[in-house]
Amino acid sequence: MDLTIILLMVLASIGGSVLYTIIGIAPGTDETAVLAPITLALILLNVSPYVVLAFFISAIVAKKLTDSIPVAIAGIPGGVMAAPMVEHAMVLKEHGMPDVSIRKMASGSVIGTIVSIPLSLLVASLIMPYASSISKHAGLIFFLGAVFLAFLSANKLLSLLMIVPFALLIQGLRHLYWDIGIVPEGTTVFVSFFLGITIGPIVYKLFELMNKDYREREKIIGEKEISFKNQKSIKGFPNPFTILTKKEVATSALGSSLGTLTFFLTPVGMTIFLGEFLTRHIKDPVQRASRAISTMDGLTNASYISGTLIPLIAIGLPLSPMAIGPASALFNAPPVFTPEHNIHHIMSMGEIVVATLIGATVALILTFYVTIKFSNEICAFVFKWVPHEALIGLFAGLVVMLAFMDAGWANIFGVMLVALVAGFLHRHGVNYGVMFMILYAAPWLIGLI
Amino acid sequence: MEKRNNTFYDIWGDNVNLRDLLISIVLSIALTLGGYLLAPGEQPWPLVLGLSGGLLAFIISSIIIKPKRKIITDTEEIE
Repeated sequence: MDLTIILLMVLASIGGSVLYTIIGIAPGTDETAVLAPITLALILLNVSPYVVLAFFISAIVAKKLTDSIPVAIAGIPGGVMAAPMVEHAMVLKEHGMPDVSIRKMASGSVIGTIVSIPLSLLVASLIMPYASSISKHAGLIFFLGAVFLAFLSANKLLSLLMIVPFALLIQGLRHLYWDIGIVPEGTTVFVSFFLGITIGPIVYKLFELMNKDYREREKIIGEKEISFKNQKSIKGFPNPFTILTKKEVATSALGSSLGTLTFFLTPVGMTIFLGEFLTRHIKDPVQRASRAISTMDGLTNASYISGTLIPLIAIGLPLSPMAIGPASALFNAPPVFTPEHNIHHIMSMGEIVVATLIGATVALILTFYVTIKFSNEICAFVFKWVPHEALIGLFAGLVVMLAFMDAGWANIFGVMLVALVAGFLHRHGVNYGVMFMILYAAPWLIGLI
Repeated sequence: MEKRNNTFYDIWGDNVNLRDLLISIVLSIALTLGGYLLAPGEQPWPLVLGLSGGLLAFIISSIIIKPKRKIITDTEEIE
């Protein structure tokens, strides 16, 4: 690593922070849909792995810092991960404190980042000796994850019942593609199915809206009103440790540690579960909401960083929902990266740490500052100029293109099918996490039959 | 825009107009997939052109479609 490459890493981190600060605020942007394609493009363009990793880390830190802003201001999640926070943020908004919400969430994010990086390194070095036996049992681990998350779902029975059928759908499509020869045998269609699940609720709703009676029932007259409260500006550089109370620092640090240790489970599921679990005992609604959002934000950030770093350092296989989703390009981006030759093999642990620190530091300084200082201005800009339709359209375009890239024309319809089923399940109380875990466990599960 | 476009549907937490949504989706799919298919040469060009197409479609949609949000600052209204 010489000075030029370090300079490039810093520049890439600045670029990543700026880009994902904006994307983070835009409502409804799914993490995988916005992170995976751009990272993949950089890798395929032969950008140095050092620079790609710094870019990716700054992107996730910036995105996680900002995706909670629209939640605080308007109750619209800036991403799938921010959805669990809506309820608590609305409590603070109703008490006229959206600015408090933003500061607490952003500060929670900072704690999550600071806690998870060293802890991830520790966990990675602890599991490194068992790397080979862990990767041998990945399928079983993901399956148990699905069962565990099914018990945390709103609809436990449906979640459990759907494990095998959903796995059949996924593997059925893969085997069909192999049979008719649109994908070489052994190449697993993954990214597009993953995206299919994430856009499931939108696709399902669009199909429902094709029915005239349904349209009559569901129509809304008038624009969505978003009340804005101008926040007081903070003088000087904001300090997350003075924004949060001691208890909030403690719970976010605890949540972040647990989020790091459960890196192999789905971040959304863990955020909902741990976020509620750690704050359930607090009576006062404002205090509870404030504690919950700082904890949840710290936790999501931590599980994202640990989910990327631990498998990357210790195993080299994408053995976490994060690694297999948004970060998947770091593990597998043929022909540049393959499971046998990726960042794990190219970069040493020390080099991965340096790239991570550069990316995280740049994003924390830039984005945290901007978030605290200008959240109102950025949000007003995004709400005023970025129509929701354009975002959904962009999403649809990306998914269709990636579906085509994965397995040709047939897969566009295959992904539509996956999305419809996923949307139906989601509507009826099956946690996203269950479906993601099934997606990962499917080859192993169907292999047993 | 025509008058009866005051009817919206809630998709993923925000109001959308179905006609505008259709325009945006068709435009985005056409430009991303078009960019991907028409790109000369091997990867990464199809991906780069596809992503650029998506970005272009996003910008065009943002210009031709007006967000369905009414922003209220404190008590006074700004459109």
